[in-house]
Amino acid sequence: MTLLHPRLAGALGWTSLAALVVLAMFGLWGAPPDRVQSDAQRLMYLHVPSAWIAYLAFGVTALSSALYLWRRTRSPVWDRLAGASAELGVLFTALTLVLGSLWGRPVWGVWWAWDARLVTTAVLFFLYVGYLALRRVPSAVETRAKRSAIAALIAFVDVPIVHFSVNWWRTLHQQATVFTPSLNAHIHGVMAFTLWWGVLAFTLLYVYLLDKRYRLEALEEDRDARELAQAIDERVQGAGVAAPAERAEVGADR
Amino acid sequence: MRFAGYVIGGWALTGAVLLAYSLRLWQRLRRAERLDREA
Repeated sequence: MTLLHPRLAGALGWTSLAALVVLAMFGLWGAPPDRVQSDAQRLMYLHVPSAWIAYLAFGVTALSSALYLWRRTRSPVWDRLAGASAELGVLFTALTLVLGSLWGRPVWGVWWAWDARLVTTAVLFFLYVGYLALRRVPSAVETRAKRSAIAALIAFVDVPIVHFSVNWWRTLHQQATVFTPSLNAHIHGVMAFTLWWGVLAFTLLYVYLLDKRYRLEALEEDRDARELAQAIDERVQGAGVAAPAERAEVGADR
Repeated sequence: MRFAGYVIGGWALTGAVLLAYSLRLWQRLRRAERLDREA
């Protein structure tokens, strides 16, 4: 019921922690301040990796949902993976929005602007909060999985809109620094290293948390199934009706 | 450091959020594993 071998997961946890410590050292001290934005730019080393993880997490949710909807590959594994990844996506989208706001205040002079990138990211956050709420609506496991998968695919439409919003509309938010249309990163030296290190550290952390969240999802599903079976048994016994197994035995005696 | 409040606040907030989420996840996972063993 886990995605990774327990030893690998443990090693990944410690590696991601070490990578985050190195990121803090470079992000806060090692990298030089920006010529224009000064030290405020140090928030980029968290803001960009958070946004990257949000894209990755929602991408995993969309892919898992598609694999669940396709009959040939349908398995509860994909549904659990989609749910686990979406929760992490929501967490990192929230971080992206808050860090962006903290960065925007000293640089733009405002906490929030009705800018295409900001608004589409906020919409993305609420779409996946809705997706998580939909997963909690009580229903049969398969019904829930199917409707959640459809919702996840619809919500994912917003991800490319968020990414390309800075190219499609005139925005206050700067254009892409790393994932430019020509893939020519506009950042170099220690700053580039710190940014890439941040992306790596956050990716390791995401994989580690995804493994844990997936296991929790699987255990909670099992528990729900046990509790449902127990409740049906109690109801059947309370009504004085023979349980299906007992009825089968009575039928066999005849 | 210029804008120290925003920078340190952002880093501290990120650390706190990730730590809180991880701890809560471990706590829920331990509880679920215990219930699974008892079942």
